[in-house]
Amino acid sequence: MKTASRRMIRFLIFIVLAVIAFMAMYPLFYMAISSMKPTIEYIKHPMGLPKTWYFDNFIALIYRFSLVRLFGNTLVYVGLSLVASLALSIPAAYAFAKLKFKYRNGFYIIMIATMTIPGITFIIPNYLLMSKIGWTDHIISVVTIWSVSAIPSTVFLLTSLMRAMPDEVLEAIKIDGAKYHQAMFKVILPMSLPGVVTVSIFNATNWWNDLLTPLIYLQSDGLKTVTVAVATVLNRFSSDYPLLLSGLLLASLPPIAIYIIFQSYIRKGLVIGAVK
Amino acid sequence: MGLKQERWVGLFSLLPAFLLLAVFVGYPMFNTFFHSFTEWDGVTSTYVGWDNFKTILSNGDLPLMLRNNLIFLLSVPGILFISLTVSVLLHEEVPGWRLFRSVYYLPAILSSVVIGFLAKSMFTNKGIVNTLLENAGLGAFTTDWLNTVPTEFMILILCFYWQTLGQGTLIFLSGLSSISNELFDAAKIDGANWRQRLMYIVIPSLYPAIFYFTIVNVIYVFVGLFGLVYSITGGGPGYETTPIDYMIYIQAFRSGNMGYASALSVFLFFIVMFITWIQLKISKRLEQ
Repeated sequence: MKTASRRMIRFLIFIVLAVIAFMAMYPLFYMAISSMKPTIEYIKHPMGLPKTWYFDNFIALIYRFSLVRLFGNTLVYVGLSLVASLALSIPAAYAFAKLKFKYRNGFYIIMIATMTIPGITFIIPNYLLMSKIGWTDHIISVVTIWSVSAIPSTVFLLTSLMRAMPDEVLEAIKIDGAKYHQAMFKVILPMSLPGVVTVSIFNATNWWNDLLTPLIYLQSDGLKTVTVAVATVLNRFSSDYPLLLSGLLLASLPPIAIYIIFQSYIRKGLVIGAVK
Repeated sequence: MGLKQERWVGLFSLLPAFLLLAVFVGYPMFNTFFHSFTEWDGVTSTYVGWDNFKTILSNGDLPLMLRNNLIFLLSVPGILFISLTVSVLLHEEVPGWRLFRSVYYLPAILSSVVIGFLAKSMFTNKGIVNTLLENAGLGAFTTDWLNTVPTEFMILILCFYWQTLGQGTLIFLSGLSSISNELFDAAKIDGANWRQRLMYIVIPSLYPAIFYFTIVNVIYVFVGLFGLVYSITGGGPGYETTPIDYMIYIQAFRSGNMGYASALSVFLFFIVMFITWIQLKISKRLEQ
């Protein structure tokens, strides 16, 4: 009797969770399905599968809106920002986690405090600074802003992970007299690789999805990122929802792929701040 | 590596990061503070004292923006409650729970732009939501979702929930899995029922996670809604759905009132600092 009612409850829980999962997924199905309908069919029958699978929206995106170029742009910006942010953050995180020096805690507190400053409060002077030195409408502005504003959170996450590195290994390389860069590349980097991957996933998806920074700094259509191009260029054809939806779908594919491949890293990274 | 050498290596490791932060965060911040007391079109600025702040307080924008931010703020407990419930249910580990957990987080990985425009396309006049309602015989409930302020807020909040459910679920699940089984067994032996176990064991041990989730999302509704507002309502009609961060964008980059936008930035800065201050206060108490 007891197990029967328990089974019933578990079945009900399953149903509730399945309904929520359906609700979370349905808009994404809708986006995928609608992107393969001609506009007229989409307006007449917003529900249901397309009568014939229609790929002209994607072809239009590639030829009329130079999608390949947009993807290439975004990949280059995100890649350069990743390299820059890691090159700046890893040495700092290692110093905070394992080196002993004067004012270390003071600097660390300043770094963490910087994390709480909302990005929008310094965007105006940065924009004017960039236009003064002629960096607006150039990839360097976006790469600089992305990688520099990611430093505090990247350092925070890496520092809390690097603190867990065993001191014995580090002592051993010190006694060996290993030079700093040797220690960095042969021991510290390999040992902190999982943390580096985690933080890079978060940064890369954030940048891929970012609207504000590339929207403000890049004006030419040829320099835009995928996300900004969808939000601005495609939105000019706002009555053509299937075209917009196919753009949204393609803009979502890279983050979805990253999520499917690196799920476990994301799950771990997300709770670091929560459990502390 | 000697101690003296270690000190220099340490400081040099910090140098590039701090130098760039000083140029691209520190300097602009002081610049914003300075220009909040000026009338500024980006080229020439004239000192106007507290005029910008007085304008913010007197031109009627502030109550409207604060109302808009307040509406989003009041929606945070809702998603907190939903995420908590879903994670308690997930924690029962019914078949397929791992898949559900993955699915719930999927929208969180997408851009606000994607979420926003997708929702917008679903809520158009002849869009799928109205079609669904009509097909279900609920034609009376069809409405022009994107043209009245309450429904616009509803869509914005729906998108915010859709984006945040996965984050909440993952945070609370990891909190739940850290509760020791002994505690549960002891409570069962003492005859505590499911509800009592929830109220006296599960919820209290989730306090730090609940607190973290709340703070992160309270800050998010002040500084993170740009993408959703941009794509769904554009802040309109008028400024009816414009929160502070979006108003800064409009004033600075559409209207060219950079001094006024700077003053708004300073205002927002202090709001976020205030929330952070509360966070520090409470987390100290939680630690004790």
